[in-house]
Amino acid sequence: MRKEYGCVLDLTQISAFAGLRPVGSGRGLIVRERIGLALATVMVRKGRTAALAAAVKEQFDIALPAGPHGSGSDSTSFLGTGPGRWLVTHDARTPGFVDSLSRKLEGLASVVDQSDAYGVLRLSGPSILEVLAKGVAIDLSAPAFPAGSVAATVVAHIGVTLWKVDETPTIHVAVARSYAGSFLHWLETSAAIYGMIME
Amino acid sequence: MRIPCPFCGPRDITEFAYHGDATLTRPAPGDAAMHDYVYLRDNPTGVHREHWYHSAGCHAWLTVTRNVSTHEIVGAEMAHKEAS
Ligand SMILES: [Zn+2]
Repeated sequence: MRKEYGCVLDLTQISAFAGLRPVGSGRGLIVRERIGLALATVMVRKGRTAALAAAVKEQFDIALPAGPHGSGSDSTSFLGTGPGRWLVTHDARTPGFVDSLSRKLEGLASVVDQSDAYGVLRLSGPSILEVLAKGVAIDLSAPAFPAGSVAATVVAHIGVTLWKVDETPTIHVAVARSYAGSFLHWLETSAAIYGMIME
Repeated sequence: MRIPCPFCGPRDITEFAYHGDATLTRPAPGDAAMHDYVYLRDNPTGVHREHWYHSAGCHAWLTVTRNVSTHEIVGAEMAHKEAS
């Protein structure tokens, strides 16, 4: 189509896991892509952990987790991914969320927008733990990994951030967008015997 | 072999990168001490302290105490005091 002095393509927003499709015949794994999330990494400045925790409490009413745990809800969550480092997810479609987060934590933490950097899947279903066990080398069962737990680890050499939101169980997984296709290939292959459906 | 990361919990060795002897301090450049630091390394048996980087996990540097004869991991702590 013609725009100003040249022809450009209209850009279409394609989500990281746009290739999601049902696999097999069962309903063992239920998958939904979380589209339109605002994501940011938050890294605390030297010696400001207590002040950052106070600001997060005041601004979001969220207790900043000290270890590999998540606080908040699907709307806004702070996920502990390393010492002094969190992945923040926001699903309330607030325009300019990451910019406002950055202003609210000014001087306390470095905030980097990751909204286009990760694809995020919500996984559930009766065979979820059997499927994930084929690639995740940590115990995701309830005693070892209760709801609220967060893990940064690898699946098939692909870095992932996993977090369990309830004991159904429902597990969310964030994958670097450029690896989404490779991760999906692993997921489809691993889930095929149980069947994988879209929600 | 598993390393008990103080942040992540026990993780497989493949998530970590080895980064050598944690008992040495890098000297100022240019003097003879640098030669010794680079080339004159002991080859101890038994319990050793070494740096490992949790590259596929929390990205923290750890000081791991490991028995290099048996590969038993005796302990692991954050290399950086403020991180712990
Ligand atoms: Zn770790």
